[in-house]
Amino acid sequence: MVTIEGLKKSFGEVTAIGDMSFNVANHEFLSIVGPSGCGKSTALRVIAGLTEPTAGKVLVRGAEVRGPIKDVGMVFQAPVLLPWRSVLTNVLFPIEMRGERRSKYQAKALELIKLAGLEGFENHAPYQLSGGMQQRVAICRALVSSPQLLLMDEPFGALDIMTRERMGFELQKIWSVGRQTVIFVTHSITEAVLLSDTIVVMSGRPGTIKKIVKVDLPRPRLASMMKDPRFVELAADVRDQIDAQWVE
Amino acid sequence: MINALKHLRPFLGFVVLLVVWQVGVRLANFPEYILPAPTVILARLWATRNEQLYHLFVATGFTTVVGLALALVVGVLMALAVVYIKPLKAMIMPLLAAFNSIPKIAVAPLLVIWFGLGAETKIVLAFLLSVFPIFVNSITGLGEIEADVLDLSRLSGGTPWRIFLKVRLINAVPYITDALRIAFPLALVGSIVGEFIAGNVGAGYLVLSGQFNLDTPLVFAALLCITLFATLGITLIGLLENHFVTWKHSTRRR
Repeated sequence: MVTIEGLKKSFGEVTAIGDMSFNVANHEFLSIVGPSGCGKSTALRVIAGLTEPTAGKVLVRGAEVRGPIKDVGMVFQAPVLLPWRSVLTNVLFPIEMRGERRSKYQAKALELIKLAGLEGFENHAPYQLSGGMQQRVAICRALVSSPQLLLMDEPFGALDIMTRERMGFELQKIWSVGRQTVIFVTHSITEAVLLSDTIVVMSGRPGTIKKIVKVDLPRPRLASMMKDPRFVELAADVRDQIDAQWVE
Repeated sequence: MINALKHLRPFLGFVVLLVVWQVGVRLANFPEYILPAPTVILARLWATRNEQLYHLFVATGFTTVVGLALALVVGVLMALAVVYIKPLKAMIMPLLAAFNSIPKIAVAPLLVIWFGLGAETKIVLAFLLSVFPIFVNSITGLGEIEADVLDLSRLSGGTPWRIFLKVRLINAVPYITDALRIAFPLALVGSIVGEFIAGNVGAGYLVLSGQFNLDTPLVFAALLCITLFATLGITLIGLLENHFVTWKHSTRRR
């Protein structure tokens, strides 16, 4: 689905991404983990075609990325909901941006809202929702046009630790229905192990890949698995790869 | 009973002021041409009611609203140009800042030369005084959109036109209504100053003619009408805002 070849990105003097190459298969859930400032988010923006790489290239579905890619869902750290829209019309926002009729996707949107546990809140305004609920709306919005690729940039980074853990399971539930290809940027090791098929561990700036870890835990991943020896082992493996500058 | 009193509190200040004014003027035996008592002012207002309404709505109100409407259209269009054509901003902003620091009222005599003694001069003055706040607020409302929102729109296939209609324009509405709240009294000042310096209609002209004839109650009566008109305008803008931008108030309240 996505191929990254020798990706480098500098901002003036600062090298954000040193060298990065990896593949993401169809239906794979891949996480990028690393310390702050290792270029994780930048990598995601380059993949989305929102920023140009300094060197190297990104292929999505075999085509080189030049400019914002199509058929993709994106979730940011902040929910970025439009305050004048309801939950439902926020979810349908990408449809309007594509120039299609909202009504065509109404059923799909309602189905996603229900799946995300937001039934009954369709007509609420964003400010009436908690942070976790707002982020769930953002996830529904990313999925409303049924994209095959989902890019998530620390989507739970702004949530409290309890909500964050619950959101991980929520995401797994929503994802298991569509099995989209996901590239998920996070700095939480547990989150990465819990959700991913593959974890790309990055070093600090300039960001380079230290190791690619395959997560061979069965799905669905349950809360009880977090105490499983294999889970602990994988998490320790990822942690060992991360520099001393890592701060959780 | 206590609750009823609570609701009356905002009016209590006015009542106290009026009573003190009335009794004070009577006791001190002030001449009417210095400070007329409130009852005298009200009587004068009632006696001149048709004249007052005519001058207020046919002249002052008309030039204020037309000037403000022009300022709204031009202010928003200029903001659009600056937001969409980046090099224009660097070029135009210092010019406008310099222009804005000219006291517009000092330009009024020039406007009389250019536009004559009629409504045009007042409209231009009202426009000049109110266009800047609308322009500046529109730039913020149209231009300062979260980067993530724009990225999201682009990734969803949003064209500049759709992003303008569904994101920028709606985001700008509360900024523009905020600006109108400031611009409306400014436009009113423009109209009245215009009436001071030229012509023989309008609430400003009534104030002036009261002064010429030492008819101080008329001056006060005209001022009262102007104040009521300004309050009416600001209230209308507030109602419009409450109706259209419920979301902005809700986020503010948090």
